[in-house]
Amino acid sequence: MKQKISNAITVTVFFLVIYGLLIANLISPDKAISYSERRELAKAPEFSYEELLDGEWLKGYEKYFLDQFVLRDKFRGLKAFTNYYLFREKDNNGIYVVDGVIYKIEYPLNEKSVLNAAKKLNEVYDKYLTGKRVSCAIIPDKNYFTAEEHGYLALDYDKMLEIMKSNVKNMTYIDLFEHLEIDDYYKTDIHWSQDKIVDIADLILSGFGQDKYASWDTYEEKSLYPFYGSYYGQSALNLKPDTIVYLTNDALEKAVVYDHIDKTYSRVYMEEFFGGVDSYDFFMSGAKSLLTVTNPNAKTDRELIIFRDSFGSSIAPLLLKGYSKVTLVDLRYLRTDILDNYLDFSVDCDVLFLYNTLILNNSYMLK
Amino acid sequence: MVFSSISFLYYFLAVFLGLYFIVPKKFKNSILLVSSLLFYFYGEPSYILIMLLSIVSGYLHGLWIDYKRNTPSAKVALISSIVVSGGFLLFFKYTNFFIKNINQIFSFKIPSLEIVMPIGISFYTFQILSYVIDVYRGDAKVQKNILNFATYVALFPQLIAGPIVRYTTIENELESRTHSLEKAAYGVWRFVIGLSKKVIFANSLGEICKIISKSDESSVFYYWMAAVLFALQIYYDFSGYSDMAIGLGRIFGFHFLENFNYPFISKSITEFWRRWHMSLGTWFRDYVYIPMGGNRVSKLKWVRNILVVWFLTGFWHGAEWNFIVWGLYFALLLALEKLFIKKLLDKTPDIFKHLYVFFFITVSFVIFNANSMGEAIGNIKGMFGLQGVPLITTEALYYARSYFIFFIIALIGATPIPAIVMKKISSIKAGEYLIHIGKPATVLVLLLVVTGYLIDGSFNPFLYFRF
Repeated sequence: MKQKISNAITVTVFFLVIYGLLIANLISPDKAISYSERRELAKAPEFSYEELLDGEWLKGYEKYFLDQFVLRDKFRGLKAFTNYYLFREKDNNGIYVVDGVIYKIEYPLNEKSVLNAAKKLNEVYDKYLTGKRVSCAIIPDKNYFTAEEHGYLALDYDKMLEIMKSNVKNMTYIDLFEHLEIDDYYKTDIHWSQDKIVDIADLILSGFGQDKYASWDTYEEKSLYPFYGSYYGQSALNLKPDTIVYLTNDALEKAVVYDHIDKTYSRVYMEEFFGGVDSYDFFMSGAKSLLTVTNPNAKTDRELIIFRDSFGSSIAPLLLKGYSKVTLVDLRYLRTDILDNYLDFSVDCDVLFLYNTLILNNSYMLK
Repeated sequence: MVFSSISFLYYFLAVFLGLYFIVPKKFKNSILLVSSLLFYFYGEPSYILIMLLSIVSGYLHGLWIDYKRNTPSAKVALISSIVVSGGFLLFFKYTNFFIKNINQIFSFKIPSLEIVMPIGISFYTFQILSYVIDVYRGDAKVQKNILNFATYVALFPQLIAGPIVRYTTIENELESRTHSLEKAAYGVWRFVIGLSKKVIFANSLGEICKIISKSDESSVFYYWMAAVLFALQIYYDFSGYSDMAIGLGRIFGFHFLENFNYPFISKSITEFWRRWHMSLGTWFRDYVYIPMGGNRVSKLKWVRNILVVWFLTGFWHGAEWNFIVWGLYFALLLALEKLFIKKLLDKTPDIFKHLYVFFFITVSFVIFNANSMGEAIGNIKGMFGLQGVPLITTEALYYARSYFIFFIIALIGATPIPAIVMKKISSIKAGEYLIHIGKPATVLVLLLVVTGYLIDGSFNPFLYFRF
């Protein structure tokens, strides 16, 4: 009798799960975007006989079913939970969590890539920057502060810096490693938090001797919540989101950002982008190949060009106080050989190469 | 379509299970056939015709053999069926292999035909062959209803990755079978266990193997880790699929034979092959080895029989030299065991027997897993420190630590320990209650966790698809 009841419950549970989720999937509306994964979700593919026969239509449906599955984030969380807490795996898809901070393993050091990055910087210098004041600063990724101590795979940062220092020519190296700590970064994101890097911006400005031309001394702190960083969705864990704390003032509110490619104007802080696929786009509209921001309160005519990655978006407003204009160049989206189509390098200016270690270790994306 | 997919689990299975149990008895095979053809079409839209042609050929040859029974024409019909079904298999699976080797040996430049092998052709061809041979031998009655025959060949639970179900095994159940709560509960349990073996274990083991194969930091430890983890992966992958097939079959009222019986606890290679992919082993035994005389012949002929069977076993797994070498490697081991080592093994403590099996099986799967013999030799050399790589690296150590508990659970899961523990628990009264409550709870938890793995992961190939 007990066996019969157990059998009945086993079968009922099975059918309840498969039919329950079938019905839930059928009635739940499709989502266009997964905010936690920061990507567009697959839509139901359009039917065509050719695609049916070559299997593409059905493959499209397979992807659609996966992307639009009801409670997708919860199920991904269940997998992450099983890996972390049942199997005690140190990472899940390369993502690990220490003290509530999410990290992504970057390993091993790609020495060829770092050397390629150094060569790229030299190439830009030789082509456009001869005779200018040029500095180079490297931003450590979050793993630098934690990985080795907690038994995770870590890059050989000493070796990376050694390669960069010994191969990058004609530039002053600004050491950021000793001025940063893990609390300066978001818990759920790859980036540093703007309110924690005022000293970094001042360090760079004083390196160029521009601190004496500062247009302002104070900022007003404003915050935006919740900020689900790029690692939040990847971790699939139920962690607390971050808060974006940003620094603003009258001048920064009035500062105008010009996009050389789209030929459009925008602002330093783009509130409308917060809550989108990538809330970090709030800073300088996110991934843009060539921007110039103008300081309305400038006490100098001097300009700064930053060759940068996404970390540059949040520090650029802080550097603006020492210059009349700051131009941001992202070589991931703009080819080195056509830069002079957009920029006049004959103008006397300071130049900063500012890249994080993850870009240096994967530098073939620099064009 | 694969069992371990959202489309199968939450759409296909849900719909067709419902339909199957709603329709009257006389339509159940039709539902099974339609669902099986759709199941195949989902993964191989263009090759469904090849399968249908194979089915029609097998069906007509069965009738022909029966019609000409006890006449020489029956043998002609049998040979004709073997030529047609074997011809499909040879053409689709082996043409490129032959062209490549002829070009290499004779320096010809015959262009490759770029044929893609239809999924499951090795399995359904062997099922059709077993049917016509059994009809010819009089071991099975001819099936006059083409729908029933097509249902037998195309039955989706075992269509694309086995086990190879003999016609005689389900001959009666094709015509008349019963369904019960007990069968359904057992089927659900086996299916969910198999699904978990595949999705939680095989796929994760595959991911670790992928990390190792992509790594720039080779080490002796890594070579061993990759070899052992792949052996476990292929076990969980294939035995998981067999569990799912057996479970689904049982829900539909069929009794498929077991395909795996804890092969890693074997104490000899002979025993290993009695426990690993049993449906293939018995197929070759009954349709190749015994008809050639088996072991009731001279030693020389016996060696020939062993070589033929294991050459074919290796070649069945894939049209590459490493599969042939893999088969012959077992021929050599089995011959050595029978002729020389058996007596020595009998006197050896069990632990050494296990180590002996573990070593040769692990090496065998290195050959099996390689893309070429060159790669296989390179990997085996690496395992013995002949590749000039360090003993261990930081990366190898990290992944060994990270996956240690997972590995131990996977290792224990590949032994009868969990089944023994369950049996012990259920032998006491309180334990019996626990099992009664625990089974449905386990089904629920595993289904949800598997769904999480399926949604999160993209690494989901069935290794036995390629065979």
